Amino acid sequence: MTATLSSSEQVQSATAVELTGVGKIFGRGQQAVAALDGVDLSVAPGEFVCLLGASGCGKSTLLNLVAGLDAPTVGRITLNTSRPAVMFQESALMPWLTAGRNIELPLRLAGFGRADRQAKVAELLDLVRLGGSANKRPHELSGGMRQRVALARSLAATQRVKGSDEPALLLMDEPFAALDAITRDVLQGELLRVYERTATAVLFVTHDVREAVRLGQRVVLLSSRPGRVVQEWSTQDNDGEDVTAEITARLREVISTHAGR
Amino acid sequence: MPDAEVQDRVGAGLDALDPPTTRTDGPRWRGFARGFLPPIGALVVFIVVWQVLWAAAIWPEYQLPAPLTVWSRLADLFSSGQIVEVLWTSVSRAVLGFLAGVVIATPLGLLVAKVRVVRAAIGPLLSGLQSLPSVAWVPAAVLWFGLKDASIYFVVLMGSVPSIANGLVSGIDQIPPILPRVGKTLGASQLSAARHILLPAALPGYLAGLKQGWAFSWRSLMAAELIAHSPDLGLGLGAYLNQGSSYNDMPTVMAAIFLILLVGVGIELLVFRPVEKAVLRARGLTGATA
Repeated sequence: MTATLSSSEQVQSATAVELTGVGKIFGRGQQAVAALDGVDLSVAPGEFVCLLGASGCGKSTLLNLVAGLDAPTVGRITLNTSRPAVMFQESALMPWLTAGRNIELPLRLAGFGRADRQAKVAELLDLVRLGGSANKRPHELSGGMRQRVALARSLAATQRVKGSDEPALLLMDEPFAALDAITRDVLQGELLRVYERTATAVLFVTHDVREAVRLGQRVVLLSSRPGRVVQEWSTQDNDGEDVTAEITARLREVISTHAGR
Repeated sequence: MPDAEVQDRVGAGLDALDPPTTRTDGPRWRGFARGFLPPIGALVVFIVVWQVLWAAAIWPEYQLPAPLTVWSRLADLFSSGQIVEVLWTSVSRAVLGFLAGVVIATPLGLLVAKVRVVRAAIGPLLSGLQSLPSVAWVPAAVLWFGLKDASIYFVVLMGSVPSIANGLVSGIDQIPPILPRVGKTLGASQLSAARHILLPAALPGYLAGLKQGWAFSWRSLMAAELIAHSPDLGLGLGAYLNQGSSYNDMPTVMAAIFLILLVGVGIELLVFRPVEKAVLRARGLTGATA
C-alpha cells in the first residue's frame, strides 16, 4: 500500500465491524451455557443491520461483545470504527444531570473544549427535536423523550476531538421495546431520519419482525441456545409485507424446534 | 406509513402530552407552617409539662429545677460571653474532626466498595466499628495520646469514619448496574468513571453517611470531652456539662444538654437537610420532602 493512500480510503473499502466464528460460553463444566456459537457477521460502514431472534438467542450478548463490555470465548471481532456507542432498552440517563448535560458527558470524557461541547449539544438536541428541553431532568421527560436523549448521547459518544476518519457504529439493544406502540412508531421514524443524516452504521437488536423490516437494510435471524445465524434477508429490493411474512414464518419455525426438548 | 410531516406532528403532540406533570408547591408560608409549627408546638407542650411537674414539687429542686432557672443560666452564659468560648471549642473540634473523617473515609469507602479483597478484609470490621460506641475508645486514646487534643480527635475519627465510609459503600452498592456500563460505553476510564458516574450516582447514600457521620462525630466529641478533661483541653460543652455535674448544679447540666442538642439539630437542619433535599429533588426522588 502506498503512502499517498489516505486512511479514509482504506476504511471506506473495509467493513465497519466483522465477526468471525464468534462464540460465547457462560459458566464452566456442567453448568456451561453456550450463548453464541460460530457467528459470522459483517456490517458495512453506514449500513443499518437488524439482528432478530426470540428470547435466549444471545442478541444482547452479541451486542455486548461488539461493545467491548464482554469478551468472546472464541472467535474474533474486528472493529474498523471509533468506539461503538450503545443504546439500551432503558435510557440509562444519569438522573442527576439535565438532558443537555447527559449529552455533554461523553463529549467531556472525550476531552472536548467547553465551547465545542455546547455547540455540539445544541446541535444534537435539535437533531432529536428536543431543543427546548435541554434543562429538563430525566424524571421530567417522557419515556420517548428520554430515549431520544439517550440516542443523542450515543451519537455524542461517537465524536472524537481530532475528527478522526473512522466511521461511527451505533449498537442498539431493543431501545424501543419498553415504549407504547404510538411512541415506538414515532421513534422508529425519528431514528431513520437521524440515521439518514449521520451516516453511522447501526446494529439494531430486536425481537419485533415489523420493526426489523421497517428499520433495517438487512435483517439477520438468529437461532436460540446457542445463537447461530440462521438466515438473512435484504429489505432493499423486497416488498415489505412479503418479507415480513417470510421472516415471521421462519422465526416461528426456529422457535418451534425448541418445543420438543 | 404516514408521511414525515404527520409523523412530526404526532411526535410533537406526544411530547406535549407524555411528560409527567410536576407538582408545584403551595405558597411559602404554608411550607413554613407545615415545617415549623409542629416542632414549636411540641416544645411548648414539653415546657408546660415540665413547669407543671416542677410546680407539683414531686422531686427536690436539685433534681428538677424550674424551666426559668435553666433559662436564666443560659442567659448568664450568653451575657458573660462564656458561650462563645464553650461553643467555639466544641463546634470547631467537631467540624475539624468531621472534615478529617470525610477526607479519610471517602477513599476508604471507595476502596471497600470497589476492591473485593479490601471489602472481604475490612468490610465487616467497618460495620462492626459502627456499632461500637466510640466512648469505648476514650480510655485507650488517653493512654496513647495523653490528655491532649489528639485524644479527642482520635475518638471523633473513630466515631465518624466508619459511618461515612459505610454510607459511601452502600451508596455505591445501590447504583443501578446499567450506569457504570453506560459509562464504559461512553468512554469513561476508571478514574473519570469514579468522578463522573460512581460518586454522583452514590451521592444520596454518601450524604446519608455524612449526616450520620456528623451525628457520630458530635456524639463522640461530647463523650470524649465529658470523660477526658484537663485545663489543656479548654472548656468545651462536654467539659461544661461535667463541671455542672461535679458541682451538683442541675441547671448547668440541663443548660449544657440543651446546647448539645441545639448544636446537633441546628447543623443537621441548616446544613444537611437542605443539601439532601436539593440532591433528592434534582433526581426526582421527592419522597424526602414530605
